[in-house]
Amino acid sequence: MALFIEQGAPVIVQGMTGHQGMTHTARMLTAGTRIVGGVNPRKAGTTVAFDVQGSSVEIPVFGTCKEAKEATGAKASVVFVPPRFAKDAVVEAIEASIELIVVITEGIPVADSAYMVALARQHGVQIVGPNCPGLVTFEPSDAPLPGVNLGIIPQDIVSYGPLGLVSKSGTLTYQLMGELSDIGFTAALGAGGDPIVGTTLLEAVQAFDADPNTKVVVMIGEIGGSAEQEVAAWASEHMTKPLVAYIAGFTAPEGKQMGHAGAIVSGGKGTAQEKKQALEAVHIAVGETPGQTAQYAREALSQVQ
Amino acid sequence: MDLYEHEAKQLLDEAGIPTPRAIYAQNSHDVALAVEEIGLPCVIKAQVKIGHRGQAGGVKLVHTRDEAILASEQLLPMTIHGHKVSGVLVAEAKNILHEYYISIAIDRNSRDFDVLATANGGTEVEEIAKEHPEAVKRLHISPLEDFNIDAARAMAQQIGFYHADEEQAAQILLKMWQVFKDNDATLVEINPLAKIGDPDDDASKSLCALDAKITLDDNAAYRHDGWQQFVDPYAANELETRAKQLGLHYVKLAGEVGIIGNGAGLVMSSLDAVAGAAKQQGSDIKPANFLDIGGGASAQVMKQSMEIVLSDPKVRVVFINVYGGITSCKEVATGILQSLDEITAIRPIVVRFDGNAAAEGLSILQSANNPQINVAQTMEEAAQCAVRIALESGERA
Repeated sequence: MALFIEQGAPVIVQGMTGHQGMTHTARMLTAGTRIVGGVNPRKAGTTVAFDVQGSSVEIPVFGTCKEAKEATGAKASVVFVPPRFAKDAVVEAIEASIELIVVITEGIPVADSAYMVALARQHGVQIVGPNCPGLVTFEPSDAPLPGVNLGIIPQDIVSYGPLGLVSKSGTLTYQLMGELSDIGFTAALGAGGDPIVGTTLLEAVQAFDADPNTKVVVMIGEIGGSAEQEVAAWASEHMTKPLVAYIAGFTAPEGKQMGHAGAIVSGGKGTAQEKKQALEAVHIAVGETPGQTAQYAREALSQVQ
Repeated sequence: MDLYEHEAKQLLDEAGIPTPRAIYAQNSHDVALAVEEIGLPCVIKAQVKIGHRGQAGGVKLVHTRDEAILASEQLLPMTIHGHKVSGVLVAEAKNILHEYYISIAIDRNSRDFDVLATANGGTEVEEIAKEHPEAVKRLHISPLEDFNIDAARAMAQQIGFYHADEEQAAQILLKMWQVFKDNDATLVEINPLAKIGDPDDDASKSLCALDAKITLDDNAAYRHDGWQQFVDPYAANELETRAKQLGLHYVKLAGEVGIIGNGAGLVMSSLDAVAGAAKQQGSDIKPANFLDIGGGASAQVMKQSMEIVLSDPKVRVVFINVYGGITSCKEVATGILQSLDEITAIRPIVVRFDGNAAAEGLSILQSANNPQINVAQTMEEAAQCAVRIALESGERA
């Protein structure tokens, strides 16, 4: 499935030469992603060698996103830049007209995220994240081009199948992919655990709803905000295929941030219970555990197939 | 990070927003000195980071020095809704003519900044919004926009500060925005913003921030050296402070099953699984904590996490739930074995591994042949097992 990005599209990595950037660029290349460059003003003009299935691949480093875009025609960027430099990096990518920017970085001040998301929307640019595991798309084994892996989601958990997955959490994404590995996915998108993100749960659900190969959508939410309620409100009117959900954080106490910057119940709002009720009120099944959620997804799939 | 009222007012005051004269004190001797400085009558306000303080008896109007001392002796040892009072604010008493509410906050849905205001302040804005939605004005500031005095004037007019000086209201709005922006706040709330003064003398009337609440964005701490002064010895649990220094996300809860996992969502889910398993087994066993080791944790990080969780004497069993993405279960297993060697007050552990190097991790654990280690195939099974062990060890104790 082409989820905000086409198969074979050229991709650059901002922060490629750092430890995280190096590790995951190698992984993304191995997964078949067409990485065409890195960006680092201090290392412009050099190349970095990656070992991809036994052979060495040289990736050029550019000084700016604009140079990288001009030289490679990059459509997407994956950002591993540390929090204090992330805003400038993303603004640079937006101004270079990169169409999709996947921000993996955790710990970006929310005012910076608000600015870059607003600027991206003004320019018609799609941001995924921040504080997310990225996105991965899958194609049938006989497709001309493989899917795209942008970020840190392990490639080997699943292969192509009729499920779509969107999640606020990284490891719960892997957990659900693992539970449903025998069925497979068109794509999985980590929306991120921050209060302000570039692609909301709703936008991802809408993209899956519009994709003919996705038959059932799985959504993983958590405490904080009301992104899940937004999905419930939209889905009850417009959704054309089954949606099943899981919500984490029923035992979270009031006023405590549970790991993610956005995972907090404040003033009695953003509880798991209220999200579950909103979804169930419009007949969306909410699993008690990831295992039960996977079971609901299987049942929903057997009904549409 | 939430600020105390006196800290929030300090930020408002620095920005030029009128606040009543006030002095923070932590004992009755200092309260007596503060009363001499502030004058009588005055208000003694418990400093605590929780709402509904007034209804809980945390605010007292006093007319004499002795009343002030008595009030502070009542308030200082108090715990309000589970929060220990850190001190009291001795504040000038103002003659209130009318109360307004204004807040600026991050709006997670519209992904901008949200100004909420009503001319019926002083109580819960949520209640007013429910009963009289037309009385609450909601306006937005775009992250791309320069919110200047003209924009503030237009907003003040829309909010409708009837009975008040609209120009002063606009100035306060603009200054609130500056406090919000310059301090990387996620919430700046003034409630009430009061019209004070002599009812018979129009010239004496003005707006004043009588109470304030500010929340700062922890992610922005790196660019605010001044936040050191706001570190709150009363708020954080000692273990939470230690975990934070180690770069771990740890939240102390009140139960018996310690929980360690990778990724915030999976750890929250593990807590829920323990609560669910306890319910099925008809017991009141609860999670003891939330601890996220993050992505790509080393054996060292795992060992430190075990030390933190096992420092809680209430913990009877530790449930370790790892789905390896970047994190290698091998590293986690190595860390577990190191902690078993080094921690004296060890308790049983239940391990569930999946993903990256899960098989290697499990074989490392098996080779140790340690009776404290229990392995489960799924997180649901692991949660059931952890609850069972917690129950049994509770019965033995």
